[in-house]
Amino acid sequence: MNPQKLIGRVLATEKNPTTIDEFYFWTNVETKLNAFDIVRVERDGSDTYGVIESISHITDATSFLTNFISSDFGDVGVIEPTFRVGMNFAKAKVSYNTKGDYTPVHNNSKVSLATQEQITFALGLDKVENPVVCGALKMYEGTGDEVTLPVNVNSKFLLGSEGAHLNISGISGLAAKTSYAMFLMKSIQDAYALKNDDEDSIAFVLFNVKGRDLMAIDCPSDDLNENEKNEYRNLKLSCDPFSKVKYYIPYFDQTSQKYSSYLSRSDVDSYVQSGKLKKFKYVYCDDKESIEMMFANVDDPNQTMEAIVSKIIDESDSDFKGLKTWGEFLETVSANSQKGSSGSKGEISVLSWRKFKRIVNKAIKNDDMFAQRVEFEKSECRLSDELKHIKKNEVHVIDIAKLPEDKQAFVFGDAVKTIYNLKLGEYDNEHNVTPPSRIVVFIDELNKYASNDVPKSSPILRQILDVTERGRSLGVILFGAEQFRSAIHKRVTGNCA
Amino acid sequence: MDNLNEVCRRKKITKIIEEETGGKSYRAHKYSLDSDRSTLEYSEQEDMSFSWKKRGETDPPASYKSLEKQSRFLAARDEQVLTYFLDGSRHVYKVDDMAYAQSGGRSVIYPTIAGQVGVGICKRQDKRISSEDLTREIVISIPNIADPNGKGGFFEALSNKLNDSSELSRIKQCGWKFTTPIPYDVKADERKFEDRGTARIQDAMIEREKEMVKKLVRRGKLNQDNYLVKDGSLEYRLTKNDGDDDKSFQTFKQNYNWVIGLSKSFNPESCFDKGKANPGYIADLPLYHRTPVAYFGSDKEPLAFAVWYVRIRSKDRTRTPFDGILKVEKILVRDEELKDGIDTDTVDRLSALVINERNPTCYGADTRWANHIYPIYLTERFVKSQYLSADSFLHLF
Repeated sequence: MNPQKLIGRVLATEKNPTTIDEFYFWTNVETKLNAFDIVRVERDGSDTYGVIESISHITDATSFLTNFISSDFGDVGVIEPTFRVGMNFAKAKVSYNTKGDYTPVHNNSKVSLATQEQITFALGLDKVENPVVCGALKMYEGTGDEVTLPVNVNSKFLLGSEGAHLNISGISGLAAKTSYAMFLMKSIQDAYALKNDDEDSIAFVLFNVKGRDLMAIDCPSDDLNENEKNEYRNLKLSCDPFSKVKYYIPYFDQTSQKYSSYLSRSDVDSYVQSGKLKKFKYVYCDDKESIEMMFANVDDPNQTMEAIVSKIIDESDSDFKGLKTWGEFLETVSANSQKGSSGSKGEISVLSWRKFKRIVNKAIKNDDMFAQRVEFEKSECRLSDELKHIKKNEVHVIDIAKLPEDKQAFVFGDAVKTIYNLKLGEYDNEHNVTPPSRIVVFIDELNKYASNDVPKSSPILRQILDVTERGRSLGVILFGAEQFRSAIHKRVTGNCA
Repeated sequence: MDNLNEVCRRKKITKIIEEETGGKSYRAHKYSLDSDRSTLEYSEQEDMSFSWKKRGETDPPASYKSLEKQSRFLAARDEQVLTYFLDGSRHVYKVDDMAYAQSGGRSVIYPTIAGQVGVGICKRQDKRISSEDLTREIVISIPNIADPNGKGGFFEALSNKLNDSSELSRIKQCGWKFTTPIPYDVKADERKFEDRGTARIQDAMIEREKEMVKKLVRRGKLNQDNYLVKDGSLEYRLTKNDGDDDKSFQTFKQNYNWVIGLSKSFNPESCFDKGKANPGYIADLPLYHRTPVAYFGSDKEPLAFAVWYVRIRSKDRTRTPFDGILKVEKILVRDEELKDGIDTDTVDRLSALVINERNPTCYGADTRWANHIYPIYLTERFVKSQYLSADSFLHLF
């Protein structure tokens, strides 16, 4: 493109002066510009760049009435032999001056389109350290001068240690939030795949919450056309799908009617055969500490539920010690909620026990996921075992789409707790635990777990707050997406990019 | 400091005139003569030397003729022949009082009148207006007795002096120049000297308009598909040059073959119907109708005009019944036109096109919106935008 393509001149009037941070310029009515396009203004010895904020069209008509009268007092079909004299003017915000000269640009200065190098320069994109491609910028779209340039972000601000976490909000149904998160994570994976540095490595844990959205991210896309492939190449990104992906779906019995994933049975079988899918189970003796996660969305003003949970995980408790299975556990809970039952119920009322029983019964009974033991040879696993052993550049997708909300919370809470503990170094002395330096946790519909309405005592909210407030230094990075940013707890968004 | 010295060295125009004519400048108050006078007095003054002769078209309608259908038809097909638009304007100022000695030790004071004259032509192409041509000059009118000898060549020499002046040099690059000063007569009658001077500057403007038309014709811009629309009347009196010999007269007429004059205002008393003044006939002209064409000729001059009126805006929407009516004039050029009048089809077509010019309007920006057509309005704005401000102009003197 012509680097000197002149499109207009700066306007400075008494009413609309040019200032340190903005200026106006006129252009021809035919000149096509978009908001956020960057234009260049020549000064003596330096260039000032501005970002177009708005574009207005005016004519010499002094009022609406003039136009109305010019149509024979309201005849909509009138054909005029002369076009009214009109022009476009745009308002631009000053973004950069090549010599740091921010005195206002002068009246009638030349305004031209900028070249790709100039735009990169003007936006400071040439100076991004630790670059990770986070998208592309199109300028002058729809004109012959269209420019596309990659936009990089400093990964230190996205993944720590300077800043961390990402929150994406937007309306539903545009396939933009999740897709963008995928794009970004793919870009990060590509960037880190090239590194071979154990001190600076990354892994991903994704929660699939809708249909089978994320259940095929290692399969190449068929609808990528040549144009789109070119765009990827221009961004220096590969068009390949995610690599090193492992899927985890809740366990279900082959014979059972209940089926806890949106993946078809044949897909599950083929995934299992290629070794990339495991079904996870929860076993009472290993997972009882996560029971509290079932109460994430339960109001517990008197903390009775909490008291019960701590009683259960108390190894020396007279009622609950030595229990091995969910069945035994439920029986014990039942016994406690019997009217006048004996035992050390002490300060916990029978009513609280009944409430507790209702909740755990609903969750655990008739669910294959809560099992007696894990059959590893049948591609079964315990989720927290798998997460403990996450390796660099791996992508773990945990499918919770078909689970009811309380169990989604349970799985999510349990997983986040595991990851957090892993990074805290709690499992360091176990065999084969080599966590990557950073783990990205992506959860769609974050509002389910960290909204303003979640009870303050929610253990999941506590986990998320821990991750957002202290995860950066530990290397646990939260990528969240939801429809309304305002619905998210402000201590979460306050820490997000 | 240098700048200041240079300013001091500059000789004011009145000083040059004083030196050259031997008068005595009184450095009187300088002011504009435009503001408190109606332009009608000079520009739209009816020239009574032309009078109604007969019906002026080949197929005269009995009464008003509706052109609504034709104008809509032409608009829908985007047919257009009105391509060029000409507007001349002037700003006149009294810039000095100059005393000239008379016999017996007496002296008489005459005003020095100066004006900025600008004539511009705009072109319409694909419904967009662009500037085609522009002249700008400063015209000075001083009493004829300023020339002490009266032998001719005096005013030409004066104009050379004026054009060499350092005052002018700063605006010369913008195209400004002095034309030869025009003397006004000083014979005793009731007319004021200011008005005489103004009238001469008005004449100069009309001459400039004619020259612009001539230039356009010479460049071959005007033809049956490209008419020139002139703001104001075409009822020019022939100047000495135009009527000099048959050849230049023919040239003059040929120049106006593709020119029509559109007047925003006119004297209702001179609206003729069947030979008699009948202003009511024009006032009652229905919307999108035209009057029959009248043939105006003169006993003294070999020129003839076709004149008709077109209503472009409804009477209900205007202040007076004469608002919204345009007077259209065309100089009759060809022999058959002079004999039988102008071709009725041409009149209808031109009238329909003029009716289409009703939109867009300059409502809100000009109080004469009902009679203004937009391209002329833009041409006028263009010419006026090129003027020197009154302050800068008066500082020359």
